[in-house]
Amino acid sequence: MSLYRTSGRLLGLLGLILGAALVISLFSGRIPIHWQEMVTFGIHLLKGQDLPADLVHKELVFLWIRLPRCLMALLVGSALAVSGAVYQALFRNPLVSPDILGVSAGCTFGAALGLILASNVFGLVQVLSFFFGITAVCLSLGLARMISIKPVIVLVLAGIVVMSFFNALLMVVKYFSDPYDELPGIIFWVMGSLSRVSWEHVATMAPFTLVGLILFIVLGFRLNILSLGDIQAKSLGMNPGLFRFILITVSSFMVAVSVACCGQIAWIGLVIPHMARSLAGPEHQKMIPVTALLGAIFLLLADSAARSISSAEIPVGIITALTGAPIFGYFLYKNRNTGWI
Amino acid sequence: MLSCRQIGFSYGAVPVLKDICFTVEKGRFCVVLGRNGSGKTTLIHCLNRILHPTQGQVFIDDKDMTSLSRNEIARTVSLVPQEHMEIFPFRVIDVVVMARAPFLGTAAAPKPDDYTIAEAALKQLHAFHLADKNFNRISGGERQIVLLARAIAQNARIMLLDEPTNHLDFNNQYHLLSAIKELCRSTDLCIVASMHDPNLASLFADDVIMLKNGRILYHGPNQKVMTPQNISALYDVDTRAIPIGDRKQLFLPKQKMGASDT
Repeated sequence: MSLYRTSGRLLGLLGLILGAALVISLFSGRIPIHWQEMVTFGIHLLKGQDLPADLVHKELVFLWIRLPRCLMALLVGSALAVSGAVYQALFRNPLVSPDILGVSAGCTFGAALGLILASNVFGLVQVLSFFFGITAVCLSLGLARMISIKPVIVLVLAGIVVMSFFNALLMVVKYFSDPYDELPGIIFWVMGSLSRVSWEHVATMAPFTLVGLILFIVLGFRLNILSLGDIQAKSLGMNPGLFRFILITVSSFMVAVSVACCGQIAWIGLVIPHMARSLAGPEHQKMIPVTALLGAIFLLLADSAARSISSAEIPVGIITALTGAPIFGYFLYKNRNTGWI
Repeated sequence: MLSCRQIGFSYGAVPVLKDICFTVEKGRFCVVLGRNGSGKTTLIHCLNRILHPTQGQVFIDDKDMTSLSRNEIARTVSLVPQEHMEIFPFRVIDVVVMARAPFLGTAAAPKPDDYTIAEAALKQLHAFHLADKNFNRISGGERQIVLLARAIAQNARIMLLDEPTNHLDFNNQYHLLSAIKELCRSTDLCIVASMHDPNLASLFADDVIMLKNGRILYHGPNQKVMTPQNISALYDVDTRAIPIGDRKQLFLPKQKMGASDT
């Protein structure tokens, strides 16, 4: 049992780091908020004492912008990371990310459509984005089911077909959009950012992340077996088609809600599971919780950087891509002898 | 006891198996021989419902397999698969303990008892030293032994092996087949294995099924079925027998091999 570190200590350590990342994230941003001021806000909320006038504005920023944003980073980071881990197990391919069935492409098209139709209608962008993300996954699954041989490879191919189709639709929308007004909106939306996050987003995201996370941890041992392929899974008494359907559905919902709220945040679903696997080993019971914590830490820190690096905010998708790619390169190098690439 | 009654299988409109009938008693080692594409793997996969036969039934003792759940089948029939490249660097013990899946609830992870069973299976094959190693980094022969240990830990009465000696060196082929034969005898296991080499079948099998174009060509006890005539017909090449004593024989093609040196 010496090959991988014991998971209890690792989880404790990551929990501490997550706490630290959350604190860092709460402190970073354009408006500096001192920790004594945060304590004052807490007392104000609990006891209802009057706030000094100069703190009222800061409290609004803290409670209604910064706090939900940090929590959202935590939820979205874990959701993207664990769905990446699940997809990699299901598709038996460590280079797969949750985009493979077209969920992100569908979401992006839906959002772009919402932005040119009526960007001022509250929630329309999110709803359309979510709807088309799930539609894309359904189309991939349906197409694969019609072909119905070699299920895993066909799913990947069906995903590529659907993804290309929605990317083409996105181009149509971009082409017909107003280049001065709507096009920049679409482009910024695609880059992914947590700047629009409100408590409603947090409340929408939280149940998806929690349900998915619990389900994936509980089914960890089954994921190990599914990652051996359908023949072995069946010979060990499992129904791989059913498990695949359930797991794809749940993780696609997680990703669709994430993308609908925050745009495309690249690389987390691909890189974080690798990082988790090299810390906790490949067994999913152990690596899924580690993946969730690492994903949360990574997005919290990336978002803090996005808020603090320049006076104008940088889309967090750029930060995750800029850091994710080299980290992934490092893990490819580090794990070159373990036989999974 | 495992028996097939007139099973057939087709991929779409293409028939792969037709009219397969045979019975394997417990404690018997049955080898399926046939050329590439004769339907060996398809037959093996029909025997534990990885594939659903399009005609006929498979019976375990006297139970029709269609009446059993997938978990019930997995508790009765184990499989040593042909493909075994894993993508994640699982430890050997983690691969073996997967055998306990059909005994565990859907949401359960293996318990210490399950690890004990997995360790015992590895010990039985003298492979316990591999337990902590990365499954992807051991040799092909060791991997096949580990998968056999997994099938043992599955604690089934019937074991299927899909070309277990493929990619194994000379030593490992005999080592593995001796281990399987020993297992068959000591635990009254009913074994069906597909194989390529008629000589290995001749040395180890109790019964032989010869499969050609999806049909059974000949079927019966080793000594009776393994004749030069039958093997010639099976592989479409003139074959002669070379007695090696002990009432056993090996087979070679009649035509001259390699460049002529006369």
